[in-house]
Amino acid sequence: MDFKLIWLVLGLPVLGFLIQAFFGGRVISRMGAASGRKVMGWLAVLPIAGAFGAAVGITMELAKRAAEDRAVVETLFSWIRIASINVPFEVRIDPLSMTMVLIITGIGALIHLYATGYMAEEKDYSRFFTYMNLFVAFMLVLVLGNNLVLLFIGWEGVGLCSYLLIGFWYKDLANSRAANKAFIVNRIGDWGMTLGMFMIVAMIAGNLGQFQGVEGRYLSYDVVFSSTAIEIFRSNPGITTAIALLLFVGAMGKSAQFPLYIWLPDAMAGPTPVSALIHAATMVTSGVVLLNRCNVIFQLSPVASSVVCVIGAFTALFAALIAFGQTDIKKVLAYSTVSQLGYMFIACGAGAYWAGLFHVTTHAFFKALLFLGSGAVIHAMAHNQDMRNYGNLLKYLKITGWTMVIGWLAISGVAVWTFFGFAGFYSKESILGAAFGNNFASINGVNYGFYSAAVGLLVALLTSLYMTRMTMLTFFGNEERWKLIPAHSHAEHSDHAHHASHAHEHEHDHHGPDVESFFFNEEELALAHAHEDHEHHHELDENHVPHEVPTSMWMPLVILAALSVLGGFVLAQNNVFEYWLYPKGELTILGELEHHPHWHELLVGLSTVAAYGGILIGYLIYRKGLPKSEGWDLSAWNPFRRAAGNQFGYDKSMVDIGVDGGGALANFSWKVLDAKGVDGVVNGLGGISAGIGRAFGAVQSGFVRSYALLMMLGGAGLVGYLVYLLTVAQGGAR
Amino acid sequence: MNATGFGLLSAMTFLPMLGVILLLIWPAEDVKAIRGVTLVTTFITFILSLFVLIRFTGNTYHFQLLEQVPWMPQMGINYKVGVDGISIWLILLTTFLSFISVLFSSYVKTRVKQYMAFMLLLETTMLGVFISLDLILFYAFFEASLIPMFFLINIWGGERRTYAAVKFFIFTFAGSIFMLVGIIALSQIYRAQFGSLTFDIVKIQSAIAQGSFWVNFVQWQVWIFWAFALAFLVKCPMVPFHTWLPDAHVEAPTAGSVILAGVLLKMGTYGFLRFVLPFFPDVIKDQVLPIMILAVIGIIYGAVVAAVQVDVKKLVAYSSVAHMGFVMLGIFSLTHNGLMGGAMQQLNHGISTGALFLLIGLLYERIHTRMFKDLGGLKAQMPIYAAIFLIVMLSSVGLPTTNGFIGEFLAMLGAFEAAFAGAYGLNIGLSVIAGFGVVLAAVYLLVMFMRTFYGPNENPTNQKLRDLKPWEIVMASSFVLFIFWAGLYPNTFLAPMEKSIGAVRMMAINPVGQRPNWDDVQTEIDADGNLVKVAVRDSFASYTSTELIAPANLHFPAPAPVASRPEVIARR
Repeated sequence: MDFKLIWLVLGLPVLGFLIQAFFGGRVISRMGAASGRKVMGWLAVLPIAGAFGAAVGITMELAKRAAEDRAVVETLFSWIRIASINVPFEVRIDPLSMTMVLIITGIGALIHLYATGYMAEEKDYSRFFTYMNLFVAFMLVLVLGNNLVLLFIGWEGVGLCSYLLIGFWYKDLANSRAANKAFIVNRIGDWGMTLGMFMIVAMIAGNLGQFQGVEGRYLSYDVVFSSTAIEIFRSNPGITTAIALLLFVGAMGKSAQFPLYIWLPDAMAGPTPVSALIHAATMVTSGVVLLNRCNVIFQLSPVASSVVCVIGAFTALFAALIAFGQTDIKKVLAYSTVSQLGYMFIACGAGAYWAGLFHVTTHAFFKALLFLGSGAVIHAMAHNQDMRNYGNLLKYLKITGWTMVIGWLAISGVAVWTFFGFAGFYSKESILGAAFGNNFASINGVNYGFYSAAVGLLVALLTSLYMTRMTMLTFFGNEERWKLIPAHSHAEHSDHAHHASHAHEHEHDHHGPDVESFFFNEEELALAHAHEDHEHHHELDENHVPHEVPTSMWMPLVILAALSVLGGFVLAQNNVFEYWLYPKGELTILGELEHHPHWHELLVGLSTVAAYGGILIGYLIYRKGLPKSEGWDLSAWNPFRRAAGNQFGYDKSMVDIGVDGGGALANFSWKVLDAKGVDGVVNGLGGISAGIGRAFGAVQSGFVRSYALLMMLGGAGLVGYLVYLLTVAQGGAR
Repeated sequence: MNATGFGLLSAMTFLPMLGVILLLIWPAEDVKAIRGVTLVTTFITFILSLFVLIRFTGNTYHFQLLEQVPWMPQMGINYKVGVDGISIWLILLTTFLSFISVLFSSYVKTRVKQYMAFMLLLETTMLGVFISLDLILFYAFFEASLIPMFFLINIWGGERRTYAAVKFFIFTFAGSIFMLVGIIALSQIYRAQFGSLTFDIVKIQSAIAQGSFWVNFVQWQVWIFWAFALAFLVKCPMVPFHTWLPDAHVEAPTAGSVILAGVLLKMGTYGFLRFVLPFFPDVIKDQVLPIMILAVIGIIYGAVVAAVQVDVKKLVAYSSVAHMGFVMLGIFSLTHNGLMGGAMQQLNHGISTGALFLLIGLLYERIHTRMFKDLGGLKAQMPIYAAIFLIVMLSSVGLPTTNGFIGEFLAMLGAFEAAFAGAYGLNIGLSVIAGFGVVLAAVYLLVMFMRTFYGPNENPTNQKLRDLKPWEIVMASSFVLFIFWAGLYPNTFLAPMEKSIGAVRMMAINPVGQRPNWDDVQTEIDADGNLVKVAVRDSFASYTSTELIAPANLHFPAPAPVASRPEVIARR
């Protein structure tokens, strides 16, 4: 088999995108909504599935090679080529990129399939799949590109698709605002990343004499991570740390780490398949991919690695705490994603890059499952997302319910000692083991990796607790809450409905007068509104009977559930996943990493306690349904939960500073500096010249003409003076 | 290689003038024919410019298609025109945007004959600016271009058109007066050194390259530098000389805005590339810092102010200030990456901002408002328009795979390299701040898009809006074609510019003896950017080189070390 097949992997999603963009609308209008959508749906799924098939073939071919030969570069054409820089359009086929390609196309195909059902009643059906296919194409460029600029194309491209899909239901401004927030916050990350790239170019171009055969490819991986470059990085530790931190800023944006995580919860305004594919399984893990790709630079900087660890640990904890204050099922999952991403960064910071990617993989399985399941629940509950309205759904949604139970056990890291565990158990275990067992991420002898792992252990308990809360409230208990105040009902007494009108009166106001308005986020309302685009919808009331989703939607759930059960177990056998990515002895700079601390058994015990403990506590609290202290009456909430509900005020303060502060500065610049400053000076000059003009009796009409006259007189005078001076100089010389 | 009499360049430049004459004798009532004549004229001009492109080779840094006719020989003034890598794309941009503007101007209903005559006149003057190789000729075209634009704003503009037109005229005119001083000073210095008067930029640059021009007048250099720089800073425009721009844009008719943003602003940056870099090698390095600071202020200031505008057109106008800041940032980094990025960004800005003004114009012709409060929710109403607008907006944001990314990326990379090397007292902080301009660009452009296209469509007038007509789609798509072409295969545009840009850079930073010389066709820039001596030369495109004169030294702004300074050439 030929590695040129990779162009098929890249080309199919692009082809799918073009078909959807240019023919989608026409096909649907010509064939009629139902059959047209069916055709376009398959035309959206098939390219991704085909790409997955080709990727499987390529990966198997790659696996046949010896470990040190597993990197193939294919070049298509010269993209940017000038004397001072050369950026070819080149892809790199290696274990890291192919692992990601398999996740993207595999999970992507499943989610596309699910979406054909989920979006079946959407008017803009082909527009949705246009963006989705384009997303897959950009995501593939991101992971396959053999240089940082191609990675950056994908990086910003997936950001664009994320922007378009978050704001998919554009008629509600709240969605568009969430989309803007995502794009802009990501751009802050991209800013750091660009500077990091520039610094790499400057470093390599500045030491060009030591390289051979670079030919301007300063940002290609084989140059940036060559042994020559490593030596240069090693001898400039300060700059290496700066590069690592700047690249990490990019990762913080895309992978939603504190302080740039604020866009991800809002991104839930998009349709649920988008949340599953982009905001859980693939795009948000790009930061981890970047750190894996650039692991050489991070390995050379214990300082940067410590920062990565600490930020990861803090984000994991912070987001897990916020999850306790959420009642929107998608918000819980969103914060859980942020928290799990923090985990991945703990791994990368501690030097166990493979463990970070392992968690990317297992997380893609179970978080995609949970999101798609939540979509099925939302579908079944008349587009109501508030868990306070749920209960006992396992009775009605057998497939969704049981697969989501599997997802819940997988993310909680449930295991039977070390004999068998759900997917999340193995990846969490690898992360904690590596972070406890090594002392790489340390500054001045303080092992930040160790402390981060300790935080991670606590977060494991919290994760299993809030996920139990979600599962218990949704699938267990009784049905009495169904009829209570659904988010979009017309009931007069609903504060929710009241808030809806309230929020729309204050569209430009991010902060309402009371705590409710933080809590009932605009995006939540957006989704309540979004279903207006669906042609059929029904109200949630006593007579509501939830229905299980169609085959196209439960099939992906079942497959993902199977992966969540077995995926971790299989990939952890004999460290197959680790040695696939980083063959033994190939982690060049750090040497061999420990897999576990010497108190391995204790760690497994603690993890098990955390997983089961969270479930047990959760069961005890929620076995009788929704406690009063978490109900619709927010004043009954305890202060912690209320604070968690509005992200401890962090998002609000950031938005306040950004929007209000920025707006004030901008208005000042415009109305004072521009109008009074620059124009003021000019008008003043005009006034003076008018005065002079009047003195000469030459001008009658206003500043402008006299100003021109003065300018001309002045200019002419200057010319004359200059000519005179030159003549003098000339004469003097003669 | 030798200059001829009037030729292709002149034909292209003065064809619109022919159109003007034709229009003048045409009866004013025959509006349809007047439109037709103008459209055909601009179209043929565009075709002629394509011929120029075909006959042009990117293999040399020297001027090509040279034409020289004595004009006022006793004063050393000639009609001398030519084209090189710096001007070639600006010429294409001018003819393209002129054609599109005239096409759009079928929306103009009043005093069509005069309007079209001014459009054609404007085209001639703009082309004249980019092909002139004589300072007086350049100055004449530079100033003459103000007149048609002044009238276009003043007659067909919005409510405050007179104020805007006068402000536009005075600002740019005031700036260029200083340039006139500079031009005269240069010619006087030339006479002092060589005994004859000339305004020929090739001759002047040649003398500068050999070090015989400034020898006795080094103390003048900084003053003349600023005389030129001031004119171009106003034209670009850079903060704090920018306030004419928002007013002029808002009041100008759509076609005027397209030309203004697309071409007239480029005259400023073109001036820097054509005159300022080659002419003042001894002082330019000391002036980099203040200009870079102005550029960075422009980037941030333009973006910040754009974010709070309530008029779409004014928002785009302020965004021009920010975008032109990136051009200046790239050019004055004096690195190869930066200059190429700056030169590319000029084109990008012409296309992207031109397209934005055009699209806003299409909307304005339908609903006669540009205020955000009257807009919103147009996406459902005008899906094709929204899609094209989105692409153009994203190219302005600088999204990879669009043209905007290529220019901004290279310009910022160049600025970073210069700062990283610690050249000219630059600080990395400047690059960091400039980079933040990219974040701000996303802020104001996305907010603009949201307020125009997203949300509910509550305005009853807008609910009746029709999407673009087929001819409008074709017109707008031509911009989209460029956006993706330049984004996906920028080499088409970068390659023809590279030699000339590289030469101008070496003229600015290299010491005497290592500077390229426009008058010496036996020197050339090779594929790696080195300055070499030509052994045998058949044409501009084909030659064999022998020895290295100066290495390219692409990434660092300082020249390669020289053993000894060549001796000062004796004055007559």
